[in-house]
Amino acid sequence: MPFLNDLFVNLSSWIHGFLAHFLPLWAADLVMMLFTIACLIAFAVTTIIFINWLERKVIGRIQDRYGPNRVGPLGILQCVADMIKMLTKEDITPAQADRLIFNLAPVMVVVPTFMVLAVIPFGRGMVAADLNVGFLYIMAVSSLTTIAILLAGWGSRNKYSLLGGVRVVAQMMSYEIPMVLSALGAIMLTGSLSMVSIVAGQSRVPFILLQPLGFLIYLTSAVAEVNRAPFDLPEAESEIIAGYHTEYSGIKYAMFLLAEYVNAFIVSAIAATLFLGGWQGPLLPSYIWFFLKAYAIYFVLMWLRGTLPRLRIDQLMGLAWRFLVPLALVNLLVMGLVITLTQRKGLFSLVLVSLVANGLIVAAVVIIYAFAIWRRRQVKVTT
Amino acid sequence: MTLLQIAFLIISAVTILAALGVVVGRNILRNALALILAFLGVAALYLLLEATFLAAVQVLIYVGAIAVLILFAIMLTERLMKQERATNEQWWVVLVASALLAAILIFLVGAVEWQVTPTEIGGDPIANLGRALLTTYVLPFEVASLLLLMALVGAIIIAREREEA
Amino acid sequence: MPGFENLPLLSPEITLTIFALLVLGLDLAFKRLKDALAYVAIGGLILAIMLTAHLFGTQGSLFSGMLVVDSFALYFKIIACLTTGLVILSSIAFMKEKTPYRGEFYGLLLLATLAITLLVGASDLVMIYLSFEFVSLTCYVLVGYLRGDPKSSEAGIKYFLYGAVTSAVMLYGMSLIYGITGSTQLTVIADNFLSPSSPVASTRWLILPAVLFILAGFGFKIALVPFHQWAPDAYEGAPTPIAAFLSVGPKAAGFAVLIRVLLTALPAYQIDWIALLSGISLVSMTFGNLVAIQQTNIKRMLAYSSIAQVGYILLGVVAAGPGTVGIMGVLLFILAYLFTNLGAFVAVVAFSYATGSDEIADYAGLLRRAPLLAAALVVFFMSLAGMPPTAGFLGKLFVFGAVIQMGQKVFYFLAVAGVLNSVISLYYYFNVVRLMFFLPAKDETSLQIPRSLVVAVAITMAMTLVMGFYPQPFIDLATRSVVTVAMLSPQ
Repeated sequence: MPFLNDLFVNLSSWIHGFLAHFLPLWAADLVMMLFTIACLIAFAVTTIIFINWLERKVIGRIQDRYGPNRVGPLGILQCVADMIKMLTKEDITPAQADRLIFNLAPVMVVVPTFMVLAVIPFGRGMVAADLNVGFLYIMAVSSLTTIAILLAGWGSRNKYSLLGGVRVVAQMMSYEIPMVLSALGAIMLTGSLSMVSIVAGQSRVPFILLQPLGFLIYLTSAVAEVNRAPFDLPEAESEIIAGYHTEYSGIKYAMFLLAEYVNAFIVSAIAATLFLGGWQGPLLPSYIWFFLKAYAIYFVLMWLRGTLPRLRIDQLMGLAWRFLVPLALVNLLVMGLVITLTQRKGLFSLVLVSLVANGLIVAAVVIIYAFAIWRRRQVKVTT
Repeated sequence: MTLLQIAFLIISAVTILAALGVVVGRNILRNALALILAFLGVAALYLLLEATFLAAVQVLIYVGAIAVLILFAIMLTERLMKQERATNEQWWVVLVASALLAAILIFLVGAVEWQVTPTEIGGDPIANLGRALLTTYVLPFEVASLLLLMALVGAIIIAREREEA
Repeated sequence: MPGFENLPLLSPEITLTIFALLVLGLDLAFKRLKDALAYVAIGGLILAIMLTAHLFGTQGSLFSGMLVVDSFALYFKIIACLTTGLVILSSIAFMKEKTPYRGEFYGLLLLATLAITLLVGASDLVMIYLSFEFVSLTCYVLVGYLRGDPKSSEAGIKYFLYGAVTSAVMLYGMSLIYGITGSTQLTVIADNFLSPSSPVASTRWLILPAVLFILAGFGFKIALVPFHQWAPDAYEGAPTPIAAFLSVGPKAAGFAVLIRVLLTALPAYQIDWIALLSGISLVSMTFGNLVAIQQTNIKRMLAYSSIAQVGYILLGVVAAGPGTVGIMGVLLFILAYLFTNLGAFVAVVAFSYATGSDEIADYAGLLRRAPLLAAALVVFFMSLAGMPPTAGFLGKLFVFGAVIQMGQKVFYFLAVAGVLNSVISLYYYFNVVRLMFFLPAKDETSLQIPRSLVVAVAITMAMTLVMGFYPQPFIDLATRSVVTVAMLSPQ
C-alpha cells in the first residue's frame, strides 16, 4: 500500500535521480520542471476526453437517452473520433476579423487554464508548485481567461460573438466576488493561501462541515464562473448562436472546448480542495481520493446542467449581486466571529458553533424572503 | 551573468517594448493588449524580487480588473470602435515631457543616496502583511474601505440611468 | 492592541462615520424619507461639533502615529463640521429640484467631512495621502453630481483630471521624502533633517524639488495660483452648495495639512519654503483679483476672489515665525472666511433658486426684490474685501500684522501688496453692490426664498458681524489652538 500511495512522488524522484547521473543539477531540475509541465498538459488533454464522454453519458441518462454508444465499448472512443474530426476540419478566419486578436484569443484562453493546474495538489506531495499565494494565484491567472474571451468576441467581428464576449465579462466579474468571499472562509480557517496548507488544515475535519453555506455559495458561483448551464448565457444557442466562439472552427474551436471542460474540472478540483479535504482520506491512495472527490463535484455540475433551465440575464446578475454577494459577506462575518469565539475551545465546539451559525444565517434568509413574499401579497390584496 | 540576471533583462525588455507599443501603436485595442503585456511584465519583475503576493495582486487588479475595464470602455465606445487610427496632434509635446520625466527618474535613482534600512523578514510574509494591516496600519485600512464605499455609491449615482423621482 | 486605548479621541470621526452610514442606510430602506435625512445629517454634525468641543485641549497620538489629536486639528474639525452643516442647510431646497438622489448626497457630504477631519489630524505621509484622496474623490463625485446637467459633468471631469495629475505629482514628492529620510512619520522626518549626523546631508539639494511636488498637491486643493485653473470651471458647473463647500471645506483642510507638514516635518528648511510661499502668495492674490474684475458670472467671480483670498491666507503661513501671530492669523482668517464666503455662496444659491440665474447683470435692482438678501450680500462683500467692522477685517488685520512683525523689508513689501490687492478687490465686490442698489431691475417681482436658506443666510451674516464687533472669544480660541502646533514643531 505505501508503494501505491506514493507512486507518483517516487516516480518523479527516480527520474530526477536518474537524470542527475549525467546532467548537472540545475539542468536536471530544469528537465524535471519541463517534464512536470508536459505531464500536466497531457493530463489536461486526457481529462477532457474522459470528461466529455462522461458528461455526454450522464446527461444522456438524465434525459432518458443512451448517449454515445457507437465508437468503442460504451462509446468511450467517441470523443477521440470527435477530436480527430475537429482537428482535420478547415480552419476558417472571417474576412473582416482582426486576425491578430482572432488568432491570439484561443491561445490566451488555454494558457491560464494550464497555469492553474500547477498549484492544485493532486495527492500527497503531488503539486507542481506549492505557492504561498496559491489561491490568489488561481484567481489572478483565471482572470486572464476573461480577457481572452472578450478578445475572442471582439476579434470575430460578429455581433453575436461580441454580445457573448460582453456577457462573459459581466458574468465572470460579478461571480468572482462571491466566489472569493466564500473561499475566504476556508482560507481563514487555515490562515494560509497555499493550497497545500489548506488541505493539511483539513486533516481532522473537512471544511464543508464548518462551512456548508460557503461551499454552496462557492459551487454556485463556480458554475457561473465557468459559464456552464444554467449560467451558460455567453453561449446561449437560442439567443446568440454560440456566443464568443461562433466564428471559430477546427483546432481553435477545439481549444475553446478544451479550456471550457478543463476549467469545469478545475473548479470542481478547487472545491474538493477547499471544502472536502482534498486528497485526505482513509485506506485508498491520496490521488484516488482526490479524483473521487473532484469527480463527485463534477457529477453535481453535470446534474445541474442536465436538469436546470437557463437563467435570464437580469436573473443572473440579480442572483450574484442581490443574493450571493450579501450572503457571502454575512457568512464571512459570522465565520470570523465563530473562529474568534471558539479560538481556545476544542474541535467539537468549533464544528457545533459553525453549524449553528450557518443554520441561523439560513433561517434569517428564509425569514427575510418569507416576509418579502408576504408583503408583496399584502400589497396585491390592497390594490 | 547569472540566470536571474538574464531573466531580468528579458522581462525588462519585454515590459519596455510592450509599454512602447501602448503609446506607439495605432490601433487602440492593440494598444490595450500591449498594456496588458506590460502589466504582466511588471508582475514578472515582482516575482523575480520574490514578492509573490505583490505579483499575484498586480495580475489580479491591473490585468483582471483595470485592463478589462479599459477593454470594455474601448469596445462600448462607438467612436473608438470605428476609428482605425488613434493619433494625437500633440504627440511631440508628450514625447518631450515623457523623455524629460524618464531622464529625471533615471537620474534620481542613480544620483541620490537613498536611505536603506535592512530588516529581518521572519515568518510567512503574507501573514505578516495581514497582521500589519490590522495593527499598525489599521486606520488607513479602515479609511480605505470607507473611501471605496464612497466611490461605489458615487460611481453608481453618476453612471446610473436616470429614473424619475 | 496598540493605539486603541486612545479611541475616545476619535469620537467625532466615529460619529461622522456612523451618521454617514446611517443616512445611506435610511435612504435605502425608506423611500419617502429623503428630505428628512438632511436633518439627520445636521444632527450628526452638531453631535460631532459637541464631541470635538469636549475634546478641546486634549493631546494624543493614535494608531502608531498615523493621526494626532491636538487643538489645532480640533479647531479645523469644528470648521469642517460647521461648513458642512451650513452647506446642507442651503442645499435642502436647492437639491430637491435637481436630483432624485438626495439621501446619497447628504451621506457623501458627511463622508467628505469625515475625510477632512482625518486629513487635518494626519501626521503620517501614508495617512495624509489617503485622506487627501478621500477628500478629493468625494469632491469629484459631488461636483459632477447633476448628471443631466452637462456643465456639472464637465466640471466634474475637469476637476478629476486636474486632481489626478496633481495628486500623482504629490505622491512622487512624498516618495522622494520617504526615500531621503526612510520614514513616513512627520516627526521622524523632522528629526532626520535636524540632526547634523544624519545621512540626509548629501541629499539636501533634493528636498526643495520634493517640497515643490508636495506643494502641487496641496496647492491644487486650496486653489493656489499655478494650480488654480480648475477652480472657476468647477465652481461654475458644480451644484452651487457644492461650490460653496469646495471653497471652504477642502481649502481649510489643505491649509491645515500644509501648515502641519511645513512646521512639523520641514522646520529645518523654513527659509527655503518661506521664499517659495511668498512668491506664490503674491501671484495668487494679484492674479485672482485682476481676473475676478472681468467676470460676468457671479460663481466665477467668487471663484477668482477665493483664489485671491487664499493668497492672503498664505501670507499668514509665510509669517509663521516664532513670536509672530502668523498661524493664529491663518486660523482666524479661515474662520472668518468660512462664514463670509459660505454666506456669499448661500446668498447666490438663494438668488439662483429664485431666479435660475447666476449672471451678475441679473443682480440689478436686488434691493427692491429681496432687501434682506441684498443687505446680507453687502455684509459678505465688505467682509471679503476686509473692511471693518466685519470678520474679514479681523482676519486680514492679524495676517498682515504678522507679516509686518517679521520685520524685514521684503515682508513690508508683501504687506503693502496685500493691502493694495484688497483695494483692487473692492472694485469688483462693489460693482455688484452698485448693481443691486442703484440700477433698476428688469423684473420687479419680489423673490421667494425658502426658509432653510433664510436661516443659513441669517446664521452666516450674524456670525460675520459678531466676529467683527466682538472678536475676543474667537481670538482666544485661535490662540489656544496655535499653542499645540508650536509644541509639535521643534522650535
